[in-house]
Amino acid sequence: MRCLPRFGSVGAVLVAAALNPLASSAKPIAFAHGTTVMAEYGAGTMEELQVFYAPRFSYSVGGGHLRLDSDIDGSSRDITYARLNYLAKRWNREASQANVFVWGGLGSANVSEDSDDHLAWNAGVQVDYETRRIYASLKSDLHESSEFSHRIDTLQLGMAPYEHDYDRLATWFVLQGRRYTGEIFDGTEVALLLRLFKGNTWIEAGATTDGKLQAMFMVNF
Amino acid sequence: MLRNAVTALALLLVSAGSMAETIEVKVNGLVCAFCAQGIEKTFRKNPVVTDVVVSLEDKLVAVEVTPGKEMTDQELREALRDSGYDVKGIARTQTPVADIRARLKTPKS
Repeated sequence: MRCLPRFGSVGAVLVAAALNPLASSAKPIAFAHGTTVMAEYGAGTMEELQVFYAPRFSYSVGGGHLRLDSDIDGSSRDITYARLNYLAKRWNREASQANVFVWGGLGSANVSEDSDDHLAWNAGVQVDYETRRIYASLKSDLHESSEFSHRIDTLQLGMAPYEHDYDRLATWFVLQGRRYTGEIFDGTEVALLLRLFKGNTWIEAGATTDGKLQAMFMVNF
Repeated sequence: MLRNAVTALALLLVSAGSMAETIEVKVNGLVCAFCAQGIEKTFRKNPVVTDVVVSLEDKLVAVEVTPGKEMTDQELREALRDSGYDVKGIARTQTPVADIRARLKTPKS
């Protein structure tokens, strides 16, 4: 079954984020000559592994593997892709930073309905803003092939109980809302997360409102 | 007397040449330690840099340069831009980074 992406709703959310620019989460570009490895377990609905290398601070190249398991009909997608991430805009202020990232890529998708491999493409955007005490990010990630169209929209709002410094452990409490299109999950998946990072390592874990694990690990080097 | 003056001047020049220069850079956008690690990585790779400290609280990057070596403002700006940040101001001092690190750890009154 082919489900058309609902660009109208994501457009409205992006406009809302632009008008109220509170955003930032894991970034697809670390720094020039930096490598980022990200792994996410998304409440039994999605699992993703990504590896990117940034030749410059403004873009990174790499790839990943995304698995989607439908909570509605039990179907699954295994999508392996190569991707280019681009920092479209960054605002550095004295006590804040905001970014707009965009990305796109090509890959191969295996769908459970016919067990065949299909050409797939992906595109996305992330808008984020952060200070040392608050942050928010909105990410929209679209994956399409001749057999499916799935968009994953993720909104995160974070608050830090204290201002961490460079050599201290950073602690964040994060509220996450996520929606899927294309018969993956009905409604909004809401999770409460604890995020910790220090040095080059980032760990985030929590649970959705129906008790499923939501976790992410990231390292930059 | 002239000999003493020349000796004193020579000692002064040798002393000045052997003193490490520290460059204190005020940086905009420095809000996240995880993201700022590129700054430290970039400067530590530079052969003329002997020490570096980053402070989110003070929005500061302090870089100590090997005595007799130089890092220009342009090089500094490029290194910070490649890490994704913007330079707000640059000041050159003789304060060792170790002293700046100690100062940063002192609770502000």
